[in-house]
Amino acid sequence: MNFGFHLAFELWHLTLGGPMEIYVLAKQVPDPEAIIKVKSDSELEIENKYFTSFFDEIAIEAGLKLKEKFGGKVTVLTVDNKKVDALRRGIAMGADEAIQITDPALEGADPFSIAKVLAAHLKGKSFDLILAGRQAMDDDAGIVGPAVAELLGIPHVHAVIGLEVDDAKKEAKVTREVENGKEILSSPLPALFTCQKGLHTPRIPLVMNVMKAMKTQIKKMDLASLGLSAAEVGLSSAKIKVSKYSPPPKRSPVKMIKEDMPENVKTLVRLLKEEAKVI
Amino acid sequence: MALDFTLSEEQEFFRQMVRDAVNRLIMPRVQELDEKEEFPWDLWKDFSALGYLGLRHEEKYGGMETDTISQMIFYEELARGSCGFAMAAIMQILMGTYFIARFGNENIKQRVLVPAIKGEKIGTICFTEDQSGSDLGGTRTLATKVDGGWKINGRKQWITNGPIAEFCTCMATVDPKLGLKGLNFYLVEKKTADRDGFTPGQRLHKLGSRCSVTGELVFDNVFVPDENFLGEEIGKGVRYAGDILNEVRIMTAMNALAISKGAMEDAREYAKNRIAFGNPISKYQLIREKFAKYWAWYEASWNYAYKCAWMIQNKIPCTNECMLAKYHATEMCMYAVEEAMRIYGGNAFCTEYPPQRYWRDAKFLLYGGGTHEVLCDYLGRIFLKD
Repeated sequence: MNFGFHLAFELWHLTLGGPMEIYVLAKQVPDPEAIIKVKSDSELEIENKYFTSFFDEIAIEAGLKLKEKFGGKVTVLTVDNKKVDALRRGIAMGADEAIQITDPALEGADPFSIAKVLAAHLKGKSFDLILAGRQAMDDDAGIVGPAVAELLGIPHVHAVIGLEVDDAKKEAKVTREVENGKEILSSPLPALFTCQKGLHTPRIPLVMNVMKAMKTQIKKMDLASLGLSAAEVGLSSAKIKVSKYSPPPKRSPVKMIKEDMPENVKTLVRLLKEEAKVI
Repeated sequence: MALDFTLSEEQEFFRQMVRDAVNRLIMPRVQELDEKEEFPWDLWKDFSALGYLGLRHEEKYGGMETDTISQMIFYEELARGSCGFAMAAIMQILMGTYFIARFGNENIKQRVLVPAIKGEKIGTICFTEDQSGSDLGGTRTLATKVDGGWKINGRKQWITNGPIAEFCTCMATVDPKLGLKGLNFYLVEKKTADRDGFTPGQRLHKLGSRCSVTGELVFDNVFVPDENFLGEEIGKGVRYAGDILNEVRIMTAMNALAISKGAMEDAREYAKNRIAFGNPISKYQLIREKFAKYWAWYEASWNYAYKCAWMIQNKIPCTNECMLAKYHATEMCMYAVEEAMRIYGGNAFCTEYPPQRYWRDAKFLLYGGGTHEVLCDYLGRIFLKD
């Protein structure tokens, strides 16, 4: 190698930071327009309309912004047996690689098991940063991100609205919203941050990248390739089990008060007190 | 498996990406775009930057070379937002650049097509005149052969993007007596200090699709060089136009599907929330029937239009099928926007509520690409084998 170039590269690396290896954890959730019905106590029937969880899109955007600044690679990871919408969206937005971890044994896995699977994939890999959404927009659990950080033994900050990386120092400054103000924290890298609304506005993909995403072969991995067994992460090992789904209550019928003034007002007040119990 | 109407996961993903772009860029501004009746340059810039204007053009000019079905998915999703904006964008993507991409030489493509795909130069196509529209044989705009090129004289009306166009593909006749056999296409650019060209005339104010600007273009003894003749042979313009008509008709069907869906989905929300006689009006049978009829006709239209898209993509002759699909989808849309107006009751008569916008926008579909009267006359003749 040319020594002069090598030195120059090292100096550049020291002053500006080197390329960053970034992983984004993403999930596809039912589209807000999708019809969801309670099929049985433990099963939902979801119309086949999915989109990327909004907070995960913010995480992908944050990863891409850092890649644009420092160079490097953004890989989007999902654990899902059926859908890969979040991965294709990641590629369409500009991510370099997309990996789907899929295995029949993962059916019914709880958030902690999902975290174990993701951590098993990430363990031993060289990375600077893991980003995730603050919570998925379907179950709102917010467990996977922090649990992955815990399992990997790296620092974690939840719901960041600001993210600055000093790649040379391998350090990040993150901002969180707290009651009546903001909290600014610094963390060594590698670390895991979950992203909150306000961090970035996700970009609209260019059609060129959309076409690329349509053609991209999604890399698939199963439990065996991660050295995990069904007993460790499947339904049987779930710490959280769904005991019952119940649909939201139906809107009660409209009651017309047919009396004349002022009796109707008196009746209304009585009904608001006694039946609706709102006053 | 010879019959399969499912879209692939990739096509569904493409639809979702277009829908998402429309939801973010256009949907929040739909009412404003309609009310202002101005071309939204800022939206045009943001939208062009995404690259969709090159959807059907070659990669070497900045296009994406997508297949016909993907293009139709795009037209359907785009029209769900602002119909006017969709008209302007589709003019640029399809009719406004088709003949330039097909017949233009390299110089023309670099000068016109490349900036058109980037959204930097706006284009259009000129068919209609004061005495001709669906009746192309009545075209009177005259192209006269002169040394090194052609002189063009005439006036074109109802030109989408006309008032803001930098270039157009103009249909003109070498001799009005030749009827359909005298027609050709010419690339004409806007008149500048150092170039002869067309000048924009009067702008029209329209009932619907109001943010696409429409007007007259005047060709006053305009000289264009020989390379601007878009075709291989003189007098074959109508045949060349025929090659794009199937696509134009299915694109129109897509617009009809989108407008009807927007109207009826809004009406559904309204019907579920509007209380009359103690119940949401969606509980009443006469209201439910409107949705049921619409749904049945919509599904039939959607499937037939996509079948036609598939036939175009697979180069299966489908001229009559595309006419039928355009006719069915547009008439279905007329039903949907009319019934949506009734579902909203008196509120439909107020510009604050959306059904009147769908109703106004939809009317344009009856005339674009030939009136339904001309279309039905032709289809009736074919059916009767007259």
